[in-house]
Amino acid sequence: MTCHELDERLDDWVDGALAGAEAQAVESHLAGCASCRERERQLRQLLAHAAALPRSLAPPRDLWPGIAERIERGSAWSALWTSWHPLALAAAVVLGLAALLWNDVGPTAVRTVAMPSASPSLRPVADTAVADPVLAAAAREYEAAATALLQALQRRRGVLPPEDLARVEANLEVIDRALEEVRQALVKDPASPELNRMLVATHRKKVDVLRRVVRLSTAL
Amino acid sequence: MEGLAGVASGDARVLMSEDHDRRAAEMRLVRAAQQGDLLAFERLYRDNERKVFGLCFRLSSDPALAEELTQEVFVRAWRKLSSFRGESAFSSWLYPLTLNVARSERRSRGRRDARIVATEDPERLERTPRTPAPEAGFDLEKAIAALPKGARAVFVLHDVEGRTHEEIAALLTIAPGTSKAQLFRARRLLREALVS
Repeated sequence: MTCHELDERLDDWVDGALAGAEAQAVESHLAGCASCRERERQLRQLLAHAAALPRSLAPPRDLWPGIAERIERGSAWSALWTSWHPLALAAAVVLGLAALLWNDVGPTAVRTVAMPSASPSLRPVADTAVADPVLAAAAREYEAAATALLQALQRRRGVLPPEDLARVEANLEVIDRALEEVRQALVKDPASPELNRMLVATHRKKVDVLRRVVRLSTAL
Repeated sequence: MEGLAGVASGDARVLMSEDHDRRAAEMRLVRAAQQGDLLAFERLYRDNERKVFGLCFRLSSDPALAEELTQEVFVRAWRKLSSFRGESAFSSWLYPLTLNVARSERRSRGRRDARIVATEDPERLERTPRTPAPEAGFDLEKAIAALPKGARAVFVLHDVEGRTHEEIAALLTIAPGTSKAQLFRARRLLREALVS
Protein backbone atom coordinates (compact mmCIF):
# COMPACT_ATOMS: atom_id res chain seq x y z
CA MET A 1 0.00 0.00 0.00
CA THR A 2 1.33 3.42 -0.96
CA CYS A 3 1.01 6.58 1.16
CA HIS A 4 -1.52 7.93 -1.36
CA GLU A 5 -3.62 4.76 -1.08
CA LEU A 6 -3.46 4.98 2.69
CA ASP A 7 -4.52 8.62 2.61
CA GLU A 8 -7.64 7.60 0.68
CA ARG A 9 -8.52 5.06 3.39
CA LEU A 10 -7.48 7.05 6.43
CA ASP A 11 -10.95 8.43 7.23
CA ASP A 12 -12.54 5.00 6.99
CA TRP A 13 -9.71 3.63 9.14
CA VAL A 14 -10.18 6.10 12.00
CA ASP A 15 -13.97 5.69 11.73
CA GLY A 16 -13.52 1.95 12.18
CA ALA A 17 -15.15 1.27 8.84
CA LEU A 18 -12.38 -0.98 7.47
CA ALA A 19 -12.20 -4.70 8.09
CA GLY A 20 -10.28 -7.79 7.06
CA ALA A 21 -7.47 -7.47 4.55
CA GLU A 22 -7.96 -3.74 4.06
CA ALA A 23 -7.61 -3.04 7.76
CA GLN A 24 -4.51 -5.24 7.96
CA ALA A 25 -2.92 -3.44 4.99
CA VAL A 26 -3.50 -0.05 6.60
CA GLU A 27 -2.17 -1.25 9.94
CA SER A 28 0.89 -2.69 8.29
CA HIS A 29 1.59 0.51 6.33
CA LEU A 30 1.19 2.70 9.41
CA ALA A 31 3.63 0.52 11.34
CA GLY A 32 6.36 1.31 8.83
CA CYS A 33 5.57 4.91 7.79
CA ALA A 34 6.17 7.78 10.21
CA SER A 35 4.60 10.49 8.00
CA CYS A 36 1.37 8.50 7.63
CA ARG A 37 1.33 7.87 11.38
CA GLU A 38 1.61 11.63 11.88
CA ARG A 39 -1.36 12.20 9.51
CA GLU A 40 -3.32 9.60 11.41
CA ARG A 41 -2.45 11.30 14.71
CA GLN A 42 -3.54 14.70 13.38
CA LEU A 43 -6.84 13.31 12.16
CA ARG A 44 -7.57 11.56 15.45
CA GLN A 45 -6.70 14.75 17.32
CA LEU A 46 -9.02 16.74 15.07
CA LEU A 47 -11.88 14.31 15.67
CA ALA A 48 -11.27 14.33 19.41
CA HIS A 49 -11.46 18.13 19.42
CA ALA A 50 -14.63 18.10 17.36
CA ALA A 51 -16.28 15.56 19.62
CA ALA A 52 -15.31 17.67 22.64
CA LEU A 53 -17.02 20.79 21.32
CA PRO A 54 -20.16 21.54 23.33
CA ARG A 55 -23.34 20.75 21.43
CA SER A 56 -25.23 23.38 23.37
CA LEU A 57 -24.39 27.06 23.30
CA ALA A 58 -26.16 29.84 25.16
CA PRO A 59 -27.47 32.61 22.93
CA PRO A 60 -25.82 35.95 23.75
CA ARG A 61 -29.22 37.47 24.62
CA ASP A 62 -32.70 36.34 25.54
CA LEU A 63 -34.40 35.40 22.28
CA TRP A 64 -37.78 34.56 23.83
CA PRO A 65 -39.34 38.09 23.74
CA GLY A 66 -38.87 38.18 19.95
CA ILE A 67 -40.32 34.69 19.58
CA ALA A 68 -43.33 35.48 21.79
CA GLU A 69 -43.97 38.71 19.90
CA ARG A 70 -43.97 36.91 16.55
CA ILE A 71 -46.20 34.15 17.85
CA GLU A 72 -48.71 36.61 19.31
CA ARG A 73 -48.70 38.72 16.16
CA GLY A 74 -49.23 35.59 14.07
CA SER A 75 -52.10 34.52 16.31
CA ALA A 76 -53.77 37.90 15.88
CA TRP A 77 -53.57 37.64 12.10
CA SER A 78 -54.68 34.05 12.23
CA ALA A 79 -57.74 35.02 14.28
CA LEU A 80 -58.56 37.76 11.82
CA TRP A 81 -58.17 35.38 8.90
CA THR A 82 -60.35 32.77 10.60
CA SER A 83 -63.14 35.27 11.13
CA TRP A 84 -62.57 36.92 7.81
CA HIS A 85 -62.38 33.84 5.68
CA PRO A 86 -66.16 33.24 5.87
CA LEU A 87 -66.62 36.81 4.67
CA ALA A 88 -64.56 36.06 1.59
CA LEU A 89 -66.64 32.94 1.08
CA ALA A 90 -69.78 34.98 1.55
CA ALA A 91 -68.53 37.41 -1.04
CA ALA A 92 -67.95 34.53 -3.41
CA VAL A 93 -71.50 33.33 -2.75
CA VAL A 94 -72.77 36.85 -3.45
CA LEU A 95 -70.82 36.79 -6.67
CA GLY A 96 -72.44 33.51 -7.65
CA LEU A 97 -75.93 34.65 -6.70
CA ALA A 98 -75.45 37.86 -8.63
CA ALA A 99 -74.40 35.86 -11.66
CA LEU A 100 -77.54 33.74 -11.31
CA LEU A 101 -79.74 36.81 -11.00
CA TRP A 102 -77.98 38.34 -13.97
CA ASN A 103 -78.71 35.27 -16.00
CA ASP A 104 -82.38 35.46 -14.96
CA VAL A 105 -82.80 39.02 -16.14
CA GLY A 106 -80.10 39.48 -18.71
CA PRO A 107 -78.80 37.92 -21.87
CA THR A 108 -77.98 34.23 -21.80
CA ALA A 109 -74.82 34.65 -23.80
CA VAL A 110 -71.56 33.93 -22.03
CA ARG A 111 -69.98 37.13 -20.84
CA THR A 112 -66.70 38.02 -19.28
CA VAL A 113 -66.26 39.76 -15.98
CA ALA A 114 -63.97 42.75 -15.98
CA MET A 115 -61.16 41.77 -13.64
CA PRO A 116 -59.49 44.37 -11.46
CA SER A 117 -56.41 46.01 -12.89
CA ALA A 118 -53.01 44.44 -12.39
CA SER A 119 -52.41 46.50 -9.28
CA PRO A 120 -53.94 44.94 -6.17
CA SER A 121 -57.35 46.00 -5.09
CA LEU A 122 -56.49 48.48 -2.38
CA ARG A 123 -58.73 50.98 -4.12
CA PRO A 124 -62.42 51.93 -3.96
CA VAL A 125 -64.90 50.36 -6.37
CA ALA A 126 -67.07 52.45 -8.64
CA ASP A 127 -70.40 53.80 -7.43
CA THR A 128 -73.46 51.75 -8.19
CA ALA A 129 -76.94 52.33 -9.39
CA VAL A 130 -79.29 51.60 -6.51
CA ALA A 131 -82.99 52.35 -6.91
CA ASP A 132 -83.98 52.43 -3.24
CA PRO A 133 -82.95 55.91 -1.99
CA VAL A 134 -82.31 54.67 1.56
CA LEU A 135 -80.15 51.80 0.40
CA ALA A 136 -78.44 54.08 -2.11
CA ALA A 137 -77.49 56.46 0.72
CA ALA A 138 -76.21 53.56 2.82
CA ALA A 139 -74.17 52.29 -0.10
CA ARG A 140 -72.63 55.74 -0.58
CA GLU A 141 -71.76 56.00 3.10
CA TYR A 142 -70.16 52.58 3.08
CA GLU A 143 -68.19 53.45 -0.03
CA ALA A 144 -66.95 56.68 1.57
CA ALA A 145 -65.94 54.77 4.69
CA ALA A 146 -64.20 52.12 2.59
CA THR A 147 -62.29 54.81 0.70
CA ALA A 148 -61.09 56.43 3.94
CA LEU A 149 -60.09 53.07 5.37
CA LEU A 150 -58.26 52.09 2.19
CA GLN A 151 -56.30 55.32 2.37
CA ALA A 152 -55.43 54.59 6.00
CA LEU A 153 -54.40 51.08 5.02
CA GLN A 154 -52.23 52.42 2.19
CA ARG A 155 -50.38 54.52 4.75
CA ARG A 156 -49.84 51.42 6.91
CA ARG A 157 -48.64 49.19 4.07
CA GLY A 158 -45.03 49.35 5.26
CA VAL A 159 -45.78 47.81 8.65
CA LEU A 160 -47.84 44.89 7.36
CA PRO A 161 -46.03 41.59 6.80
CA PRO A 162 -45.93 41.02 3.01
CA GLU A 163 -47.77 37.68 3.22
CA ASP A 164 -50.56 39.26 5.28
CA LEU A 165 -50.80 42.22 2.92
CA ALA A 166 -51.07 39.83 -0.02
CA ARG A 167 -53.86 37.96 1.76
CA VAL A 168 -55.68 41.23 2.50
CA GLU A 169 -55.38 42.32 -1.10
CA ALA A 170 -56.50 38.97 -2.50
CA ASN A 171 -59.61 38.94 -0.34
CA LEU A 172 -60.49 42.56 -0.99
CA GLU A 173 -60.32 41.61 -4.63
CA VAL A 174 -62.89 38.87 -4.04
CA ILE A 175 -65.21 41.33 -2.28
CA ASP A 176 -64.70 43.96 -4.96
CA ARG A 177 -65.55 41.44 -7.65
CA ALA A 178 -68.72 40.60 -5.78
CA LEU A 179 -69.60 44.28 -5.58
CA GLU A 180 -68.93 44.70 -9.28
CA GLU A 181 -71.12 41.73 -10.16
CA VAL A 182 -74.00 43.05 -8.07
CA ARG A 183 -73.61 46.50 -9.56
CA GLN A 184 -73.76 45.11 -13.10
CA ALA A 185 -76.82 43.04 -12.20
CA LEU A 186 -78.45 46.17 -10.77
CA VAL A 187 -77.97 48.01 -14.04
CA LYS A 188 -80.28 45.42 -15.61
CA ASP A 189 -82.66 45.15 -12.67
CA PRO A 190 -82.38 48.23 -10.44
CA ALA A 191 -85.59 47.45 -8.55
CA SER A 192 -84.52 44.01 -7.39
CA PRO A 193 -84.75 44.10 -3.58
CA GLU A 194 -82.39 41.10 -3.30
CA LEU A 195 -79.71 42.83 -5.34
CA ASN A 196 -80.11 46.08 -3.40
CA ARG A 197 -79.76 44.33 -0.05
CA MET A 198 -76.89 42.26 -1.38
CA LEU A 199 -74.99 45.33 -2.47
CA VAL A 200 -75.32 47.10 0.86
CA ALA A 201 -74.48 43.94 2.80
CA THR A 202 -71.33 43.43 0.73
CA HIS A 203 -70.32 47.05 1.26
CA ARG A 204 -70.84 46.60 5.00
CA LYS A 205 -68.67 43.50 5.03
CA LYS A 206 -65.91 45.26 3.17
CA VAL A 207 -65.96 48.18 5.59
CA ASP A 208 -65.99 45.82 8.55
CA VAL A 209 -62.98 43.91 7.26
CA LEU A 210 -61.06 47.07 6.38
CA ARG A 211 -61.74 48.59 9.78
CA ARG A 212 -60.37 45.52 11.53
CA VAL A 213 -57.32 45.31 9.29
CA VAL A 214 -56.50 48.99 9.85
CA ARG A 215 -57.01 48.60 13.61
CA LEU A 216 -54.73 45.57 13.68
CA SER A 217 -52.05 47.17 11.50
CA THR A 218 -52.06 50.23 13.77
CA ALA A 219 -51.33 47.96 16.73
CA LEU A 220 -48.23 46.50 15.05
CA MET B 1 -20.31 -9.02 41.99
CA GLU B 2 -23.97 -9.73 42.39
CA GLY B 3 -24.14 -6.84 44.80
CA LEU B 4 -22.53 -4.48 42.25
CA ALA B 5 -24.76 -5.77 39.50
CA GLY B 6 -27.74 -5.19 41.73
CA VAL B 7 -26.64 -1.62 42.43
CA ALA B 8 -26.02 -1.02 38.72
CA SER B 9 -29.39 -2.47 37.90
CA GLY B 10 -30.98 -0.26 40.55
CA ASP B 11 -29.21 2.81 39.14
CA ALA B 12 -30.46 1.95 35.65
CA ARG B 13 -34.00 1.67 36.98
CA VAL B 14 -33.64 5.09 38.67
CA LEU B 15 -32.28 6.61 35.47
CA MET B 16 -35.08 5.09 33.39
CA SER B 17 -37.61 6.31 35.87
CA GLU B 18 -36.13 9.83 35.81
CA ASP B 19 -36.17 9.79 32.01
CA HIS B 20 -39.78 8.63 32.02
CA ASP B 21 -40.73 11.41 34.44
CA ARG B 22 -38.90 13.99 32.35
CA ARG B 23 -40.65 12.87 29.16
CA ALA B 24 -44.01 12.87 30.92
CA ALA B 25 -43.43 16.42 32.22
CA GLU B 26 -42.33 17.49 28.76
CA MET B 27 -45.44 15.98 27.20
CA ARG B 28 -47.63 17.85 29.69
CA LEU B 29 -45.96 21.08 28.56
CA VAL B 30 -46.45 20.16 24.91
CA ARG B 31 -50.15 19.40 25.45
CA ALA B 32 -50.62 22.71 27.26
CA ALA B 33 -48.79 24.54 24.47
CA GLN B 34 -50.92 22.74 21.88
CA GLN B 35 -53.93 24.25 23.66
CA GLY B 36 -52.39 27.72 23.20
CA ASP B 37 -50.52 28.06 26.51
CA LEU B 38 -47.59 30.31 25.62
CA LEU B 39 -46.02 30.00 29.07
CA ALA B 40 -45.79 26.24 28.61
CA PHE B 41 -44.18 26.78 25.23
CA GLU B 42 -41.69 29.18 26.82
CA ARG B 43 -40.68 26.38 29.20
CA LEU B 44 -40.10 24.11 26.20
CA TYR B 45 -38.07 26.90 24.62
CA ARG B 46 -35.95 27.36 27.74
CA ASP B 47 -35.26 23.62 27.87
CA ASN B 48 -34.11 23.49 24.25
CA GLU B 49 -32.76 26.92 23.29
CA ARG B 50 -29.09 26.02 23.84
CA LYS B 51 -29.19 22.92 21.67
CA VAL B 52 -31.01 24.72 18.89
CA PHE B 53 -28.83 27.81 19.08
CA GLY B 54 -25.67 25.68 19.19
CA LEU B 55 -26.64 23.85 16.03
CA CYS B 56 -27.76 27.04 14.29
CA PHE B 57 -24.51 28.76 15.25
CA ARG B 58 -22.32 25.94 13.95
CA LEU B 59 -24.28 25.60 10.72
CA SER B 60 -24.40 29.33 10.00
CA SER B 61 -21.08 30.43 11.56
CA ASP B 62 -22.72 33.75 12.32
CA PRO B 63 -23.95 34.62 15.83
CA ALA B 64 -26.50 37.20 14.68
CA LEU B 65 -27.86 34.87 12.01
CA ALA B 66 -27.92 32.01 14.53
CA GLU B 67 -30.12 34.14 16.80
CA GLU B 68 -32.52 34.77 13.95
CA LEU B 69 -32.56 31.12 12.91
CA THR B 70 -33.21 30.03 16.50
CA GLN B 71 -36.18 32.37 16.74
CA GLU B 72 -37.49 31.10 13.42
CA VAL B 73 -37.19 27.48 14.60
CA PHE B 74 -39.37 28.13 17.65
CA VAL B 75 -41.92 30.23 15.76
CA ARG B 76 -42.29 27.38 13.24
CA ALA B 77 -42.36 24.84 16.07
CA TRP B 78 -45.29 26.71 17.62
CA ARG B 79 -47.15 26.65 14.31
CA LYS B 80 -46.47 22.94 13.74
CA LEU B 81 -46.94 21.89 17.35
CA SER B 82 -50.20 20.10 16.64
CA SER B 83 -48.22 17.54 14.58
CA PHE B 84 -46.07 16.54 17.59
CA ARG B 85 -47.46 13.30 19.02
CA GLY B 86 -44.84 12.59 21.67
CA GLU B 87 -43.35 9.58 19.87
CA SER B 88 -39.90 11.07 20.42
CA ALA B 89 -38.37 13.67 22.72
CA PHE B 90 -39.33 17.22 21.88
CA SER B 91 -35.65 17.96 21.14
CA SER B 92 -35.61 15.13 18.57
CA TRP B 93 -38.69 16.60 16.93
CA LEU B 94 -36.98 20.01 16.82
CA TYR B 95 -33.83 18.63 15.19
CA PRO B 96 -34.98 18.26 11.55
CA LEU B 97 -36.97 21.46 11.92
CA THR B 98 -33.78 23.26 12.94
CA LEU B 99 -31.91 21.84 9.98
CA ASN B 100 -34.68 22.90 7.60
CA VAL B 101 -34.62 26.42 8.96
CA ALA B 102 -30.82 26.56 8.80
CA ARG B 103 -30.93 25.41 5.19
CA SER B 104 -33.07 28.43 4.32
CA GLU B 105 -30.20 30.53 5.66
CA ARG B 106 -29.76 32.49 2.47
CA ARG B 107 -33.31 33.83 2.61
CA SER B 108 -32.98 34.63 6.29
CA ARG B 109 -29.70 36.39 5.70
CA GLY B 110 -31.43 38.84 3.39
CA ARG B 111 -33.95 39.76 6.07
CA ARG B 112 -31.19 40.08 8.67
CA ASP B 113 -29.17 42.42 6.47
CA ALA B 114 -32.24 44.59 6.12
CA ARG B 115 -32.61 44.72 9.88
CA ILE B 116 -28.95 45.53 10.60
CA VAL B 117 -29.51 48.97 9.11
CA ALA B 118 -32.36 49.62 11.49
CA THR B 119 -30.91 48.22 14.69
CA GLU B 120 -30.11 50.68 17.46
CA ASP B 121 -27.34 48.44 18.77
CA PRO B 122 -25.12 47.40 15.84
CA GLU B 123 -22.38 46.22 18.20
CA ARG B 124 -24.70 43.48 19.44
CA LEU B 125 -24.46 41.86 16.03
CA GLU B 126 -20.70 41.57 16.42
CA ARG B 127 -20.85 39.83 19.78
CA THR B 128 -20.15 36.16 19.69
CA PRO B 129 -21.95 33.64 21.86
CA ARG B 130 -20.22 32.04 24.80
CA THR B 131 -17.89 29.82 22.82
CA PRO B 132 -15.68 27.22 24.46
CA ALA B 133 -12.28 28.20 25.79
CA PRO B 134 -9.47 28.28 23.23
CA GLU B 135 -7.86 25.13 24.58
CA ALA B 136 -11.09 23.27 24.00
CA GLY B 137 -11.07 24.06 20.31
CA PHE B 138 -11.42 27.79 19.62
CA ASP B 139 -9.30 27.51 16.48
CA LEU B 140 -11.37 24.55 15.39
CA GLU B 141 -14.52 26.68 15.65
CA LYS B 142 -12.97 29.23 13.32
CA ALA B 143 -11.77 26.53 10.95
CA ILE B 144 -15.27 24.97 10.89
CA ALA B 145 -16.74 28.39 10.12
CA ALA B 146 -14.43 28.70 7.11
CA LEU B 147 -15.58 25.39 5.58
CA PRO B 148 -17.81 25.33 2.48
CA LYS B 149 -21.48 25.18 3.50
CA GLY B 150 -22.22 21.56 2.52
CA ALA B 151 -18.99 20.18 4.00
CA ARG B 152 -19.54 22.20 7.17
CA ALA B 153 -23.06 20.87 7.67
CA VAL B 154 -21.97 17.24 7.31
CA PHE B 155 -18.89 17.71 9.53
CA VAL B 156 -20.97 19.34 12.28
CA LEU B 157 -23.62 16.63 12.13
CA HIS B 158 -21.17 13.71 11.99
CA ASP B 159 -18.12 14.70 14.02
CA VAL B 160 -19.65 17.20 16.47
CA GLU B 161 -23.22 15.94 16.83
CA GLY B 162 -22.36 12.27 16.37
CA ARG B 163 -24.91 11.46 13.65
CA THR B 164 -24.37 8.58 11.22
CA HIS B 165 -24.14 9.03 7.46
CA GLU B 166 -27.55 7.37 7.09
CA GLU B 167 -29.12 9.83 9.53
CA ILE B 168 -27.40 12.78 7.86
CA ALA B 169 -28.54 11.59 4.44
CA ALA B 170 -32.15 11.48 5.65
CA LEU B 171 -31.93 14.84 7.43
CA LEU B 172 -30.28 16.70 4.55
CA THR B 173 -32.01 14.70 1.79
CA ILE B 174 -28.71 13.69 0.22
CA ALA B 175 -27.22 10.28 -0.59
CA PRO B 176 -25.16 8.59 2.16
CA GLY B 177 -22.23 8.55 -0.28
CA THR B 178 -22.50 12.32 -0.67
CA SER B 179 -22.48 12.69 3.08
CA LYS B 180 -19.33 10.60 3.29
CA ALA B 181 -17.60 12.53 0.50
CA GLN B 182 -18.46 15.87 2.11
CA LEU B 183 -17.18 14.66 5.48
CA PHE B 184 -13.85 13.57 4.07
CA ARG B 185 -13.54 16.87 2.21
CA ALA B 186 -14.26 18.79 5.41
CA ARG B 187 -11.73 16.78 7.43
CA ARG B 188 -9.06 17.26 4.79
CA LEU B 189 -9.65 21.02 4.71
CA LEU B 190 -9.61 21.19 8.51
CA ARG B 191 -6.40 19.23 8.79
CA GLU B 192 -4.78 21.58 6.28
CA ALA B 193 -6.08 24.61 8.17
CA LEU B 194 -4.96 23.37 11.56
CA VAL B 195 -1.48 22.40 10.33
CA SER B 196 -0.86 25.69 8.53
